[in-house]
Amino acid sequence: MAPADPTPARRSLAAWLETRFNLTEMLAFLSSFGVFPAELDTTRPFREALREAMRRPLPSYARWPRVLGLLSFLLFLFLVTTGALLAFYYQPTESEAYRAGTAIVRDVTFGWFIHQMHRWSARLLLVMLMVRLWRFFFQGTYKAPREAVWMAAVVTFLAATQADLTGRLLTWTTTGYWTTVRALEVIHALPVLGPVLMFLAGGTTPDSLFLTRFYVLHIAMLPAMLLALFYLHFNGVRRVGLSHAPSESRATGETARVQMINMIILAALVFGGLVTLVTLAPTPFEPAADPALTPQGMRPPWYLLAPHAIIEMTPTMLPRWAGGLVVEAILLLILVLPFLDTSAGRGVRERRVAVAIGIVILAIWLFLTWQGYSLEVRR
Amino acid sequence: MRAAMLFPAAVAMALAAAFVPCAAAEPVPAGPAGTDRAASGAPRVLCGVCHPDVRVQFEQGVHSREGFDCTSCHGGNAAAATVEAAHRAPFRGTPKRRDIPALCASCHADLAMMTPYNIPADQYALYLTSQHGRRLVKGDESVAVCTDCHGVHEIRRENDPKSSVFARNVPDTCGRCHGAPPPGSPEGAPPVEGSPFADYQAGIHGQAYLQQANDSAPTCASCHGSHGATPPGVGDVDKVCGQCHATARGYYRDGPHARAMREGNGPECAHCHGNHRIARADVALLDTACAACHEPGSEMLKVAGGMKALIVGAREEIGHAHAAIDRAAAIPLYVEDYKARLEEAHTALVQASPIVHALDVGRVEQLAERARGIAKEVESEIDGKLGERWWRRVGLLLFWFYLGLTLAVLAVIRRRAREEPGG
Repeated sequence: MAPADPTPARRSLAAWLETRFNLTEMLAFLSSFGVFPAELDTTRPFREALREAMRRPLPSYARWPRVLGLLSFLLFLFLVTTGALLAFYYQPTESEAYRAGTAIVRDVTFGWFIHQMHRWSARLLLVMLMVRLWRFFFQGTYKAPREAVWMAAVVTFLAATQADLTGRLLTWTTTGYWTTVRALEVIHALPVLGPVLMFLAGGTTPDSLFLTRFYVLHIAMLPAMLLALFYLHFNGVRRVGLSHAPSESRATGETARVQMINMIILAALVFGGLVTLVTLAPTPFEPAADPALTPQGMRPPWYLLAPHAIIEMTPTMLPRWAGGLVVEAILLLILVLPFLDTSAGRGVRERRVAVAIGIVILAIWLFLTWQGYSLEVRR
Repeated sequence: MRAAMLFPAAVAMALAAAFVPCAAAEPVPAGPAGTDRAASGAPRVLCGVCHPDVRVQFEQGVHSREGFDCTSCHGGNAAAATVEAAHRAPFRGTPKRRDIPALCASCHADLAMMTPYNIPADQYALYLTSQHGRRLVKGDESVAVCTDCHGVHEIRRENDPKSSVFARNVPDTCGRCHGAPPPGSPEGAPPVEGSPFADYQAGIHGQAYLQQANDSAPTCASCHGSHGATPPGVGDVDKVCGQCHATARGYYRDGPHARAMREGNGPECAHCHGNHRIARADVALLDTACAACHEPGSEMLKVAGGMKALIVGAREEIGHAHAAIDRAAAIPLYVEDYKARLEEAHTALVQASPIVHALDVGRVEQLAERARGIAKEVESEIDGKLGERWWRRVGLLLFWFYLGLTLAVLAVIRRRAREEPGG
């Protein structure tokens, strides 16, 4: 695109940059990640387009209940930043991983802070993505034309669990190691998907090379995948518009500028919450993992407890993958939910059956999670 | 209760005694070494017909398995069918106590006969040098002869756990003479007060060996020897104790006590630690043992008190550091390194303790101060870390103060943005 008519009278930095880069397009790209609320007219000069966009009234954004996506992306940004700082000191080998981890927490200035920020952000991100899925379900947000938004959200959650799982092993602590082993047992029981994932990871036992692969997955491939999924999600949302409950009025009269300020306030509050958690509830130190010594009471991570329960509770007369097949079927059903429930209504009153089913499923999920938590591994 | 539990075993033994001779009498008679007499047609041993219980005992022992029979010790004719013929000369009957060592030695001092079994052949010679042997030669038949320790007919190998000379059974075997309750005492009666056996049981060695099953602790034979059983002479005690307590002995030999001992009048190990009732080596001995010989207020007692204060001080400091580590670990802070450093302090303390035997206050001080210094360092570093935690909370408060300001500013900016015309 040709540079917009430069006015020599205004020699600002923005104008200088404007003649060399297309700033409008850059900002428009950022809006695809939800960090800029409005659409930009990329054919117009930056300042003009920005001023216009900032004044445009928008449907409410960066306010409950539509904050979950934005919060997730903010947490993702925290994770990328803290993760990069951690990677400066981390060494992904069996012999060095634990030593490097303890050195970061103990010896590196503010290392404990960065490490705990990373941990707490990861925990909150997973919870946020999970809650977001339930919100989408109960508010009927998955319905046409937002099927792709729903599917992107489901896959984002799955990818985030994998990022979490790969991260747990990196510390090479007892809990990290054995939680991974338990999780791998669950994944291994999934027919087709399990062996394929195991093949990609290069084995079923976490050894040194396994750690290296998990490291690459954790710092490169899964973050890239999550970024792409966030992009898909926000891009889809921008295309089809924010969803609104039928009772809600669409126009709030808030300008994009106000929405931007709301977003900054939100980010500040999230940061404040994280700092508080990190200072008051740091994770205790743990001994290094000993692959030859299985401690008692090791379980898969919380998001795998229900699949763990299903697989372990499969009757012994059935093959072990039968339970895995059930888990896969449930995953598939969740993914294609928008195509199964094609009724038009989105309000809770219009979808009493769906909401009731959702509540039952939520109860079953909580029950299975509790079961998975209290289950002794059957061998 | 004990009798009730033993009852079935007694019945089983009685049954075995009744049936084993009948079942085994014909096909497996005892015979000379290295031959299968059932096959070679060697003479049958008929002694068990009249002495069935003795035969059962004998067959439990090692000698029957190596091909010896009753006549090997008792003479007579084992194959004879009548009592007279069986007991005809050269029948020896029950050997006299004073003859027993020589009788056993007729085989056991034979190097050619013992070498294939890898059994030393000098036991008789050793026995004759022991208190037991010397007194027997003088005609005192109350002393132990071979059979008192090894058994009579049922003689088992030394490494057989049922053997009376198996290491675990040695204290009891020696205790049968050296402190066992007098005959007629009720079952389970304690050994005679003040006897070596009673003292050994009460001392740290006996506690370790008998109560804690610590096989590296000594039995009677570890210090006194077995066949040449002799109490070590006064000048030799440090050599005997030093076999295990080499470090303590080394320092003892450097010190003034050993010099006095070489000149003929000085204390050795047992003076302070006792002999059979050996006290746990503890700094408290520096109060009690030293005062047994040295005058109150003397220069020597001041040395002892100084060494004790140094060791106790270092030990207390290490205790404080341990408590600090526990506090830090509960928070949680990383304490593994501190634990390792405290091990170093503990090592220095362990090194310092035996130097008291050399009465070298300077060296004790050097090591005790090192232990104390490390422990103090660990403690103060942990206190620093605990302080850091407090600063973190202060930091959090400051952070929220700043964040509150930021949020207030943002709220103002938002209000203006809302009021902005066209907004």
